[in-house]
Amino acid sequence: MASQFLQVVVGGILLGGIYGFAAFGLSITFGVLNILNLAHGDFLMLGSLVGYSIFLSFGINPFIIAIIIIPLFVVIGVGFYLLLLKPISGKPPNQLLVASVLITLGASIVIEDLTSFFWAHPITGIDYSLPSLALYGLVISETRLFILLFLLILAVSIQLYLQKTYMGKSIRAITQCRGGAKLIGIPISRISALTFGLGVAIAASAGVFYITLFTVTPVIGIPLTVKYMCIVVLGGLGSLTGSVIGGIVLGIAESLTAYWFGAEWSPAVSFILLISILTIKPEGLLGRK
Amino acid sequence: MMSWIQRKNLFLIAILCLCVLAALPLPASSYVLMWVFLMAVYLTLALSYDIVGGFLGYMNLGHSTSFGLGAYSTAILLNHDFGLALALFLAIVFTAAFAAIVSYPFFRLRGAYFALATFGLISLMEVFATNLQHVTGGSGGISTPPGDHMVPAYYLSLVAASGTVILSHLLGRSRFGLALLSIREDEEVARSFGVPTFSCKSLSLVISSVPAGLAGGIYVWNVTYISPPAAFGLEIALSPVVMAMLGGTGITLGPLVGAVFITLIQELLWIKVAYFHVTIYGVLLVLLGLFMPGGILRTRWLWPVVQRLGFGEKIDYFKKQEILQR
Repeated sequence: MASQFLQVVVGGILLGGIYGFAAFGLSITFGVLNILNLAHGDFLMLGSLVGYSIFLSFGINPFIIAIIIIPLFVVIGVGFYLLLLKPISGKPPNQLLVASVLITLGASIVIEDLTSFFWAHPITGIDYSLPSLALYGLVISETRLFILLFLLILAVSIQLYLQKTYMGKSIRAITQCRGGAKLIGIPISRISALTFGLGVAIAASAGVFYITLFTVTPVIGIPLTVKYMCIVVLGGLGSLTGSVIGGIVLGIAESLTAYWFGAEWSPAVSFILLISILTIKPEGLLGRK
Repeated sequence: MMSWIQRKNLFLIAILCLCVLAALPLPASSYVLMWVFLMAVYLTLALSYDIVGGFLGYMNLGHSTSFGLGAYSTAILLNHDFGLALALFLAIVFTAAFAAIVSYPFFRLRGAYFALATFGLISLMEVFATNLQHVTGGSGGISTPPGDHMVPAYYLSLVAASGTVILSHLLGRSRFGLALLSIREDEEVARSFGVPTFSCKSLSLVISSVPAGLAGGIYVWNVTYISPPAAFGLEIALSPVVMAMLGGTGITLGPLVGAVFITLIQELLWIKVAYFHVTIYGVLLVLLGLFMPGGILRTRWLWPVVQRLGFGEKIDYFKKQEILQR
């Protein structure tokens, strides 16, 4: 019983790593642009489907695919920003909110509908697995473990990027104070475009791992976005550690729910978690007042 | 030329329209009746969405949860041999109570967070509707006792729609409506002037959930079937938002114009296009966000007419912020 419980928790942690990583993309986008990208989950879906196509045609290892699709999705993200979000970026806050929700939601619906029309296989998963690891009576999927390690390396490199480089510093500066960043001459528009590209690429890269572990359908986008928003609320804005911790909390909660109540209830967990956090501690789990 | 555009003429036109619609069951086919019925249901949804989305300024993307809850609870009650009136009444009470409960955590959120959280509520409801099989019939949906309710349901939907128009109109001029507008303009200032913001917000959510629940109940009574995708799907969730936004939010006339416009487009265009209905919605949303977040009524040509009719504020919400920014 205890070992089973532990097993479920370990599975949740491994799952939560992917959640946290993808949610971080949403978190930096929201921090810099002040726009909640409702199409974030759809970019993850697109990333996983593109990764799947590459895997089918070339048979490349998913870990390599996850890296090579990053530049592709940075370009897609920058294009998305320049085409759809830059025209509204100068608007006053209230109009910006309405316009951004309409645009990103519309884009996400279009992506989902077009993908489900053109995608021949309705449900897909990459057939890639490594032998499992038995450790003190726990069985740990080696695939998940490697994915977690890989994401950890990616996360650390992104963290270094944010801490050390000029662009990373600009991103953090804009998140902290938009007006101040503008005053000291940070090119907000260019940084915004790149940040959006980075956020989209992070989602797409996480999508490749998503499809190695789960099946993907074109309509998973919006539920995933809700999930990631829960994580962002849990972990606080623009913080990588916060996102990862939030993701792991959610991952464990989902695994335990599936274990106790059955897998059909696990989609409800993220939302119930969000509501209970908002009721008890509105500033977020790690947030400061 | 503008002289006939006056308030009293507008009321005359409205009453005339209502009379024509009321007489419609005599000559018209059931196809036309169904079309007007659906338009009335969507109009009710769009107008009641606008109480929170337009007056209060919080984008409630999950407005269709009220519709779905109303529809499901009516269907369940009808199946337990309740009368229609009692079933509709209980469904509305249930919907309103649910809205009151969820308003507590939700109104701690603002802006895009609120929009996404309410949107997530729909998928939660869908999970419940699918999983609680012994109550809701699971993914197979639930059927109500069959029967031909077309004409009475048609009148009921007309009553609901015109009632919502009146509600929205009265709300816009009441003290409570002013409180909502002040929250939309600036929540902190409103609170510092003594507006009880939290209870006003909760009350507006409850008020807006009532017509939506009623619309759901009438819909399920007429169609005699409801399933999770029909109650909590994307199309029913987005239609009211698109309609209100297209027409112009925060004006009673706006969702009305939007609803008629969209149902006409559906009728003319969508029966010719077999696929991509949802894509068309999405593209419409993107274009609205990019080019006219104020809606049709706030375009340069129509706005003077709207103001002449006495709708809309003296200084328009969307225009004012542009002036302030200059």
